[in-house]
Amino acid sequence: MEKYLNISPLKILEKSNYKELGKGNLGVVISRAGVGKTSCLIHVALDRLFKKGKVIHVSLKDTPEKVISYYNFIYVDVFNYLNLENEQEAKDFLDKNKIILAYLKESFGIDKLSQNLKNLAENISFKPDTVIIDGFDFEGSGRNIFEKFKEMANEFQVEIWFSALSHRHINKVNERGIPFPCSDLDDLFKLIIQLQPTQEGLFLKLLKDNNIKISPDCIVKLNPDNFFAAE
Amino acid sequence: MVSDTKYLRNIGISAHIDSGKTTLTERILFYTKRIFAVHEVRGKDGIGAKMDSMELEKERGITISSAATHCQWKEHNINIIDTPGHVDFTIEVERALRVLDGSILVLCAVGGVQSQSITVDRQMNRNHIPRMAFINKCDRAGSDPYRVVDQLRKRLNHNAILMQTPIGLEGNFSGVIDLISMKAFYFKEPFGETIKIESIPPSLVNEAMEKREELLDAAAMFSDELTEAILEDRVTEDLIHEAIRKGTIARELTPVFIGSAYKNIGVQPLLDGIIHYMPSPIDIENLALDIDQEEKTISLTSESNAPLVALAFKLEVSPYGQLTYLRIYQGSIEKGDTIMNTRNKNKIKVGRLAKMHADEMEEISKANAGDIVALFGVDCFSGDTFTDGSLNYALKSMVVPEPVISLKISAKDNKSSNNVAKALNRFVREDPTFTSRVDEESGQTIISGMGELHLEIYVERMKREFGVQVETGIPQVAYRETISGKAEFNYVHKKQTGGAGQYGKVAGFMEPLEEGHYEFINQIKGGVIPTEYIPAVDKGFQSCLKKGILIGFPVLGIKITVNDGQYHPVDSSEKAFSQAAVGAFKQAYLKAKPIILEPIMKISIECPSEFQGNVMSSINQRRGTIISSAEDGIFTAVEAEVPLAEMFGYATVLRSLTQGKAEFTMEFTKYLKIPKSLEDELIAKHKKA
Repeated sequence: MEKYLNISPLKILEKSNYKELGKGNLGVVISRAGVGKTSCLIHVALDRLFKKGKVIHVSLKDTPEKVISYYNFIYVDVFNYLNLENEQEAKDFLDKNKIILAYLKESFGIDKLSQNLKNLAENISFKPDTVIIDGFDFEGSGRNIFEKFKEMANEFQVEIWFSALSHRHINKVNERGIPFPCSDLDDLFKLIIQLQPTQEGLFLKLLKDNNIKISPDCIVKLNPDNFFAAE
Repeated sequence: MVSDTKYLRNIGISAHIDSGKTTLTERILFYTKRIFAVHEVRGKDGIGAKMDSMELEKERGITISSAATHCQWKEHNINIIDTPGHVDFTIEVERALRVLDGSILVLCAVGGVQSQSITVDRQMNRNHIPRMAFINKCDRAGSDPYRVVDQLRKRLNHNAILMQTPIGLEGNFSGVIDLISMKAFYFKEPFGETIKIESIPPSLVNEAMEKREELLDAAAMFSDELTEAILEDRVTEDLIHEAIRKGTIARELTPVFIGSAYKNIGVQPLLDGIIHYMPSPIDIENLALDIDQEEKTISLTSESNAPLVALAFKLEVSPYGQLTYLRIYQGSIEKGDTIMNTRNKNKIKVGRLAKMHADEMEEISKANAGDIVALFGVDCFSGDTFTDGSLNYALKSMVVPEPVISLKISAKDNKSSNNVAKALNRFVREDPTFTSRVDEESGQTIISGMGELHLEIYVERMKREFGVQVETGIPQVAYRETISGKAEFNYVHKKQTGGAGQYGKVAGFMEPLEEGHYEFINQIKGGVIPTEYIPAVDKGFQSCLKKGILIGFPVLGIKITVNDGQYHPVDSSEKAFSQAAVGAFKQAYLKAKPIILEPIMKISIECPSEFQGNVMSSINQRRGTIISSAEDGIFTAVEAEVPLAEMFGYATVLRSLTQGKAEFTMEFTKYLKIPKSLEDELIAKHKKA
């Protein structure tokens, strides 16, 4: 399964200083609607799972069935690439180490997530290494919410990856090159990655690596069909 | 009789046990003149309410089986499916819900929204069924319909709107104020058939005005015309009805009626509500699967002149013979028509056609789209789809899951023994997921189904409906065996005991098969095994799959390749090669690293969010894997995969963990290898036996 790391979009971090987000930290994948934030986050989850970690995938827009179908869709491509002898065994392994939490009809709250993480740790000894939060409304949330997420990441010793929706018509970029809607929050995020569709293809670009200067080659081309990083 | 589909209502009456839904149904039948006297569920007259046609129901005062009955109210035809209210019979509820277009949620004005009301409401939500509510028992001490409306909003997330306010409560409950006509309705003794309409008592005017405002505000959300009319002060009753109907059918509004069925108060306005607000079959989109197009989803029309598509949703043995309840989704059925069962392509000529009224019937000559009718003497299973033969549709997936649990049963006496077969034969027809067989070795009858509760219900029904006293064994999980490696065989079957001998040699290998149960590959070259003996070799191997060597359960996922062999011109025979295959199987099987598989169930638990931790813990204790957890405000739905062997008695455990507020459904999902320690245990147990 280590072969997966050759095509993991997170291999962009090989070119970063810390190689991974790390516990207690927040990271975010920014892109416009429909570019593939969810697929990208699922690969973030797979990267962790293939490294024998545990993942919680929090969905604020889709039902668990839909999230499961996204995962299953990506599994097909990944398993084909890995040319596994027993795909069911691999799927069972990945599923055992991943739990989907969906908060529908605006029922999400940090306190609820925190309570659920406690429940999972206390009742089933499931302590995630990575929490994926897909569909969180960056524009409608204040800075203090992200400060709470940071506290939560520290308390539960997890890394938290978000997806953030940018807009074609809002070109706001701060002096550090971080676009809206993360331009006023970038100090709270250790890693910021942007998914960029261009005429040359789909790219994943590292915009922030803690507070260290990013080398210009911190960019990875992705296959738009399966989000595999170019080998 | 009115035959226009838009004047038809197919509704269910669902609720918690003891909220009075059977009494309500009885009163509905009385006011619609289907019956001419009223009885109680636990009536002193020993007759019992009409809808409780099964003995067990009569004894317990609950409704288990979903009998259908038909009545008419103000030029509308109403089919009522009486759905069970007890938590253990949710299979029946789910089955009844398939054919409903709308439902009345009956709530007790004292008990309010109880755990089973929550369960039933969630089931209706899953099936996208529009609802109305009837708050019953307003005459009881402690009744408070306003509290119940509040519970409907907070506990069930309903946009519940009172259509009436009470005139008095508890012992003083004497009528209702209709918030649309703004009149007081009194129901005259002895059985409330006569309604006296009067002005609202002055002391209740303010309250009625306030509640009418609430009603108009809620209804206006669904009609711009009503909004304008409110602003211009020209609101009509029709405008309000139309807006409420729109909101109800969209499942965004729940009109709430109040009354006391037992005291004959408020039932007729509820009937008016059914025809005003519940959808007709043409308001609902029904889907079928086209078998010829890989079960592609097809939208049905509600037109009676379209080709027939109907679902057999219930089978019943009645004093008139075997009855099959059909819901016609599209087209029509006429006496003398030939219809086709799309499961087995059997064609059936329609003889007698009837509308049922619990245990009584009314023969008819034709039934149209939307109708629920009963056919006599039709050989089919519950869930079968019938068409006119021009369409090959199924109203539900044709895939019937294999049973995952078995139970040995034996009759306690001779009399019972005679009826066991009769009972089993009927149940097998009613429910494709229920099977029965006689074990060849022990001669014992074994029933199999989809869960512990599933089998318990049938054992109970056997006792009640057929007078069969049975003893049951311990539920047995349907394990499977398979191989995890490749192994070769080379076996000679040779027997010489005077006269013609037996000779056959087979060689080849067995290996795991990724998809499917069994595959036989013939790679014999040069006629070393003559072609005419090859089927016997295949048959020999297949006979070994029925009972694996590890623990005696069926073997699946195995591919056998035969690539060499030998025959004798005189002594070889089909029997000899079949025996050789059996010997070859035994020779290779244990070398092919056999393993035991256990059925894994996908379970969905819905509970109030505060119990999420308890529920997850209970899954973990059962070797389960949590797949997901979804919150939608008040409720959390936990999905998990759990071995069936760990699920015995879970319904009771869940009830105690969640104060009875959780419900769970369970379905087979896959077979998985069992842990080594359990495998050793099972093998040891098998050896001992």
